[in-house]
Amino acid sequence: MGRTMILGWCVGLALAAAAIAYPLYANGYYLALGISILYFTILATAWAMFSGPTRYISLATVAFFGLGAYTAAVLGETMPWPVVLLAAAVLGALVAAITGLSTLRLSGIYFVIFSFGLAELIRQLVIWYEVNVHKSVGRYLFSALTQDVLYWQLLGLMTLVFVAGWLLGRSRYGLALRAIGADETAAGHSGIDATRVKLGVFMLSSVFMSVTGAVMAPRWTYIDPSIAFNPMISFQVVIMALLGGAGSLFGPVLGVVPLVLLFEVLTATLPNHFSILLGAIFVLIVMMLPKGVIGLVETWWCAARTDGAAPVRNESGPLLVVDGVGKSFSGLRAVDQVSFEVARGEIVGIIGPNGSGKTTLLNMLSGALLPSSGTIRFGDVMINGLRPYRIARLGLARTFQLVRVMSDLTVAENVAAALLFGAAPPVSGNTTETSRRLLDAVGLGAMRDTPAGELTYIDQKRLELARALALEPRLVLLDEWLAGLNPSELETGIALIAKLRDGGMTIIMVEHVMDAIRALCSHCIVMNAGSVIARGVPDEVLSDPKVVAAYLGDDDA
Amino acid sequence: MLLFDIVLPGLVLGGMYALIALGLTLQYGVARVMNLSYGESLVAAAFGALSLYTGLGLSPLAALLLAVPFAFLLNWLLYRFLLERLMRRGKDRSAQEIDSILVTFGVLFVIQGIMLVAFGGQYYSYSYLSIAVVVLGSTLAVNRLVALLFAAGIGIAVYIALTRTRMGTAARAIAVDANAARLVGIDVSSLSALVFACGGGLVAVGGVLISMFLTFNASMGVVFTMKALVVVIMGGVGNVMGALVAGLILGIVETAVARLVDPGLTLAATYALFLAVLLIRPTGLFGRAPS
Repeated sequence: MGRTMILGWCVGLALAAAAIAYPLYANGYYLALGISILYFTILATAWAMFSGPTRYISLATVAFFGLGAYTAAVLGETMPWPVVLLAAAVLGALVAAITGLSTLRLSGIYFVIFSFGLAELIRQLVIWYEVNVHKSVGRYLFSALTQDVLYWQLLGLMTLVFVAGWLLGRSRYGLALRAIGADETAAGHSGIDATRVKLGVFMLSSVFMSVTGAVMAPRWTYIDPSIAFNPMISFQVVIMALLGGAGSLFGPVLGVVPLVLLFEVLTATLPNHFSILLGAIFVLIVMMLPKGVIGLVETWWCAARTDGAAPVRNESGPLLVVDGVGKSFSGLRAVDQVSFEVARGEIVGIIGPNGSGKTTLLNMLSGALLPSSGTIRFGDVMINGLRPYRIARLGLARTFQLVRVMSDLTVAENVAAALLFGAAPPVSGNTTETSRRLLDAVGLGAMRDTPAGELTYIDQKRLELARALALEPRLVLLDEWLAGLNPSELETGIALIAKLRDGGMTIIMVEHVMDAIRALCSHCIVMNAGSVIARGVPDEVLSDPKVVAAYLGDDDA
Repeated sequence: MLLFDIVLPGLVLGGMYALIALGLTLQYGVARVMNLSYGESLVAAAFGALSLYTGLGLSPLAALLLAVPFAFLLNWLLYRFLLERLMRRGKDRSAQEIDSILVTFGVLFVIQGIMLVAFGGQYYSYSYLSIAVVVLGSTLAVNRLVALLFAAGIGIAVYIALTRTRMGTAARAIAVDANAARLVGIDVSSLSALVFACGGGLVAVGGVLISMFLTFNASMGVVFTMKALVVVIMGGVGNVMGALVAGLILGIVETAVARLVDPGLTLAATYALFLAVLLIRPTGLFGRAPS
């Protein structure tokens, strides 16, 4: 252990001791200030835990905070204090689960809007309950707990929220959250169950908020809905987290401390103009400091824990059987009654003019679209109707015709996300090694730490392939992966695909580059207007008059 | 008869919702700015009408002539000086939406703070054209009917402007894809600013008209924002006719819940309706299904 590290530990321990002993030497005003800093730290850190990486901005902090405070007000007189805190946690988790289940499946904007109104909704429901059931609005809460005890509870809760955030960041779910924030579709096709990850973390963050509300409740003595559900709290939390930087664990603290002090000064000197100044400060922060004072998100994450062995798979028969699959978009039959089989280790080409339904077919295979009819069997599992992440975990990976990389994540992290959520998560420590091997294989070894958004188009395509391979797939779908490459890149690309085949990979490629189809495919399928019009060995198929007519038009056209 | 007692007042209430949502249809549906300070702007317009009526004796309908150009100018400045930069900074539409939500969240508190300083927290109302008329056995107030007529008139005018004019077509092109619109020679930033400002003008119309019959205070903007959002999303983002119909549906549902269940649960009913629409048809009742 180096001298600086020992020094660091000493300073850390001294700070912790000072924080714990704070109520013993701070007087009333400074203790109250300490309490404010602590509870905003917990709220802002819990907020950033979910909203930072996913960018699902939650404007509902006070909904959960208020729920906790109200639980304490209702149960505080009759129940022992730990039971009250537990009840607040359970209620927070429950409401988060209901809200999350109904809105987190939707795109981010609907979640934001809903969270914006959630506090008002819960406030009105509480008022309704109090008027109709309790027959009076507002409750008194007399508690024997002193301010010192309140402070220590908050200190303990803050420690918990940091430990939880740290563990989350180290686990594969932390990376999954950031992948979701960067590109939810791509995350889904990397094997991440986006809805479940989002819901879990949203619930965790909400529990911290509602417990904070319960702990803080005795401070008011009298609680009514307009105190407990004051929208200003949601607003302050968002400002603090964004000022500090929502992308990292300790970022929000950097916003909490200066802003709590500033709010103290403002409420003392300009109480009537508080909201105006706060709004103006917030606008400035959003305009000037989009990533907070902590600056760019640092690239942190370590090898994750592992679980489970690879499932046993049936190794006989064709790998993929597509039977009578069709897809209609309100009257337009994009794909009509398509059937084919793919044997293990084979490369099958799907060709056809633009608009013939090739990408629609791939979208159905990978789960992005639900087939209107027909069945798809992959190995021994029927996969039609499964969600993309399930199909990805079964070992069917894809690339996109219009590349979808998670642009804020580095090249290595893009691959790691797929590695950690694939069919067989690697044993500890292997992630870095495996991602290095995959990136070397596609020729991106040198660009490991570049943000994926900065890659050229070709390199993004390579990255997509590496990400698909990271799932250790049994079948890879390449959607015009060779399109837009120059002749020498095309040669490298074809060689790379051939190498994959020689390694035993099964591939379906949609392609317009006929040289590649001739060079690689043992078998190909020609589609036109949604149906298969020819199939067989590439050379024969490409000279078929029907195929020529589909591409070039009939004589009389 | 109970049915008429629900349907007619429901339609009138719904007309008001359609009216307050029209501005947001333009601001969010076309200019793609999710404006969280929307309700506060609406309440500010209501306060403006109140001040003109009690101070100068100016009728709310005449106040429109002052309030609309003023709101247009303010919103144009807001877009030019704040939002436009965010639109340029955002990498994609979702980043732009999140940024615009955050900035307008700040603007919300600025407007609300100004109103709290000027008017305090208490409720205000005044009475104008509150003459009762009996329609099919239900008692309705003339001022609410005026609001309904304005909603229908403005809705149709906006619809025609968007679908039948050159400028409207360009605005719809921006709503679909700003980059593609740029390629065909549309000046995206000035036209977006214009559309956003027009939306702001419509907010002022809504605010002035509802001040004739609603009791309001400085901190109730969020309720209007949510109702406008629900109407816009239910009707299909950017779909003016959809917003009109969705407003009417929302009005009838709320009146029915207030009459048959409990008036304290109308907001809950609004949210339930909102969630149901999002879960069943996320593109709105009249939005096109995504391909």
